[in-house]
Amino acid sequence: MDGYVHSFESMAAVDGAGIRYAVFLAGCPLRCVYCHNPDTWHRSVGKPISAEALVRKVARYKPYFKTTGGVTFSGGEPLCQAAFICETAPLLSREGIGYILDTSGAVPLTDEVRCAIDRSDGLLLDLKFPDDDLYLRYTGHGIDEVLRTLAYLDEVNKPTVVRTVIVPGINDREDILRRYLDRLNGHRCVRRYELLPFHTMGFFKYENLAIPNPLSDKEALPHDVLERLQSFVNANITLQNA
Amino acid sequence: MLDCHRGFVAGPWTEQIDVSDFIKRNYTPYEGDASFLKGTTKRTDSVKRKVDALLIEENTKGGVLDVDTEHASSLLTYRPGYVSRDEDIIVGLQTDAPLKRAVNPFAGYRNAEQACKAYGYEIGDKVKEEFRYRTTHNTGVFRVYTDTMKKARHAGILTGLPDAYARGRIIGDYRRIALYGMDRLIDERRRDKAHIGERDMNEATIMLLEDIQKQLEFMAQLVTMAAEYGCDITRPAENAREAVQWLYFGYLGAIKEQNGAANSIGRISTFLDIYLTRDLEEGTLDEIGAQELIDDLVIKMRLVRHLRTPEYNDLFAGDPVWVTCSLAGMGEDGRTMVTKTCYRFLQTLYNLGPSAEPNLTVLWSQQLPEPFKRFCAKVSIDTDSIQYENDDVMRRDFGDDYAIACCVSAMKVGKQMQFFGARCNLAKVLLMALNGGRDELYGEQIAPEGPVFDETPLVYEEVLDAFKTYAAWMAKLYVNTMNVIHYMHDRYAYERLMMSLHDAEPERLMAFGISGFSVLADSLSAIKYAKVTPVKDERGLIVDFKTEGDFPKYGNDDDRVDSIAQWIAAYFYEELCKTKTYRGAKHTLSILTITSNVVYGKKTGATPDGRKKGEPFAPGANPMHGRDAEGALASLNSVAKIRYDCCKDGISNTFSITPNALGTDDEDRIEKLVAVLDGYFAQKAHHLNVNVLNRQKLIDAMNDPTLYPSLTIRVSGYAVNFNKLTKDKQLEVISRTFHDKM
Repeated sequence: MDGYVHSFESMAAVDGAGIRYAVFLAGCPLRCVYCHNPDTWHRSVGKPISAEALVRKVARYKPYFKTTGGVTFSGGEPLCQAAFICETAPLLSREGIGYILDTSGAVPLTDEVRCAIDRSDGLLLDLKFPDDDLYLRYTGHGIDEVLRTLAYLDEVNKPTVVRTVIVPGINDREDILRRYLDRLNGHRCVRRYELLPFHTMGFFKYENLAIPNPLSDKEALPHDVLERLQSFVNANITLQNA
Repeated sequence: MLDCHRGFVAGPWTEQIDVSDFIKRNYTPYEGDASFLKGTTKRTDSVKRKVDALLIEENTKGGVLDVDTEHASSLLTYRPGYVSRDEDIIVGLQTDAPLKRAVNPFAGYRNAEQACKAYGYEIGDKVKEEFRYRTTHNTGVFRVYTDTMKKARHAGILTGLPDAYARGRIIGDYRRIALYGMDRLIDERRRDKAHIGERDMNEATIMLLEDIQKQLEFMAQLVTMAAEYGCDITRPAENAREAVQWLYFGYLGAIKEQNGAANSIGRISTFLDIYLTRDLEEGTLDEIGAQELIDDLVIKMRLVRHLRTPEYNDLFAGDPVWVTCSLAGMGEDGRTMVTKTCYRFLQTLYNLGPSAEPNLTVLWSQQLPEPFKRFCAKVSIDTDSIQYENDDVMRRDFGDDYAIACCVSAMKVGKQMQFFGARCNLAKVLLMALNGGRDELYGEQIAPEGPVFDETPLVYEEVLDAFKTYAAWMAKLYVNTMNVIHYMHDRYAYERLMMSLHDAEPERLMAFGISGFSVLADSLSAIKYAKVTPVKDERGLIVDFKTEGDFPKYGNDDDRVDSIAQWIAAYFYEELCKTKTYRGAKHTLSILTITSNVVYGKKTGATPDGRKKGEPFAPGANPMHGRDAEGALASLNSVAKIRYDCCKDGISNTFSITPNALGTDDEDRIEKLVAVLDGYFAQKAHHLNVNVLNRQKLIDAMNDPTLYPSLTIRVSGYAVNFNKLTKDKQLEVISRTFHDKM
């Protein structure tokens, strides 16, 4: 089967450890109000590529990976194409290349999804919101699937870095962050919790696509606010496996 | 053993001139980290303050502080000069005062005259009189140039040729002076002359003998020059200070004699380290003192200046002199050639601040000690002042005692020299091929007349055939033009001192160059994979193209176009090799533009890849800006495919990335930059300039130069102070791809 790829980034240095080759798979079930990649929402925008062709492409970057680098499947929502990832996984493994998943976890926990998780080196789990109410309001999707995915990650103890985008006026407050922490504390799969700043660099994509940008009047999150909130989170998170 | 050589392990180097053997028997590889390094002394700070004040003054005066118009530059024309007489540890300046420029008319009188005029000076009567009856290199060349050569030059197909200024790119083995002393070197050279004199007196022998006699005269002058500074260089250096000083005198003499575009200093750090280590062991020097010596040498290297015309500055912007200083690398015996003094040279970028000169060049090998790799990456991230070249590919051809001249040209120190040949605009050659040999801007017939392509979609095979025909014609003309230039340079502006610090019969390389590389690759790809239709003007000249559909672009690790790029270099090199060179030089080829990619672009019409008439080319072997869709490493992978085998004069690539795209914090960035360098060079790539900075910073610096007075960036094979670039060039640099994250 073919995968549907929105784009490639050969040096995604900040999306995981070491040098990462990012494969942005097309299609996403969420419609986050702060999405900076609205051009990846539909699978139909992706270009088809076979697992073999993808691995050939990726293998060109082996010299850069050393012991820490590898592939990052991102999106869109990569787990929407879990079957394709499962097909790619053994081919990557034969080349000695590992991968991580950059996912929201908001997908049904099918056999393919389990397989894609099992074979990965770890996850970047984007915990968008801490409860069903907020999740639904800002992503158009409930939180249940995310929680089931998180439970599964615990079950198999898959190293997981949780990340949350902090949007001014939506979740840039300690009392809200406490709810995120309540959600995460106690999960043994969580290795780290990182906050990411909301930025406006994806705004032009809304204009190009001629779709309304719900946050068009927002400004980027100031650096000092992010630092303050990250310190708060660091002081209040309980990690069983740091 | 001489007292000067106390403690050194003897070997073949004691019997014959063999610096490389001396180094191997005596150096101490260093695999540790940077924690031993020291900061500046009070004396260094005081000298630096004086230099900084002069640099500001130079800048305020429009780039030239002062000119000595009363003398023609040579070894003995000026009284000794000092930055600070009481404080200089390493002495010697090009003229009698720091940053005062010399007039050097030997390669071209008119050029020197125009350079003076550009800054409001006039050549003094004495010099004028002296050169009235003198043939310069430039005069000689133009006596012989054919009409076709002049036309090709005028049209901008062959440009930057060293026919009005000195050729440069020759590295004297200045270390020999420190190790052997001038008496021994002069004796050896006399013996060489006697041996060669036994041969048949044909043209080659006679020429060589005359060369050697010229060398001997200048070796004597160098001794006198040093004596005027109170130093006796007839004998070898006795300690580290003398070793640095003796070596520097050699370099200083060379740049008093020659104003070539690039006068590089060679591979000196590991050599000097032997002397520094001996002094440290003998207890006559401590680490602070060792660093101070290197700092003072580097201050002198930062003060090197030549007087240039505005046209020259267009090609090589920012007043560069390429005091290229090669560091690190691996020995053929498997030991690293990294020493503490390699670190000390890099440390000058902290002690004295970032700087364009000397052009610090790290010879990168997969086997370099990890702590050294990490330190280099840190220095790059902090200062944007160093470049990297692949020791693992160069060592195979050049052994382990080569150095880089200028930007990317490797040569065995003291054993090889180069005939520098600027570059040929191959993007323009394609347009000429489509126009039946006419210049697409002026309509002049330059190459032999051929069929002009119609205003119907171009057929790849037909275009390729035409291109091959004209590229072959070009290659022949190019070699022949170079032959004229270098014959005349040897005759009228021979590098007497630099060549005296080579073996008597060095191997010669003739270095050709390509510009418009990525434009040509993408243009051919457009013709092959999209639909390209020429557009003619009323003169029947193809002046534009209608390009419909998508096509693979160089810089995306896409073999469909990268193989075209590979082919271009290989084909042109093969064609060059078909024409014999002057003095039996070996043909080499580079893909390097310095900053001339802007000028070449101006002189080139619209191209099938969608580039508009007059738009700058990408520098060196870089992909065109904005065409790489798959990020930084895909771009590196494309360039890495160009084979060094056919481009042994170097393949230049400049890589700019924002700090945030490189990593999350300093440690992470260092780790990732090391991975990028290792990954790129593991694929046998040749060269990488590294800039880690934000585009916004450059925009701010352009709008208010006082914000970042020492902002240094790597451009194409060299570093430059951003504020010294013209607005044109600043904008071009800003428009280039900065790999960023979304």
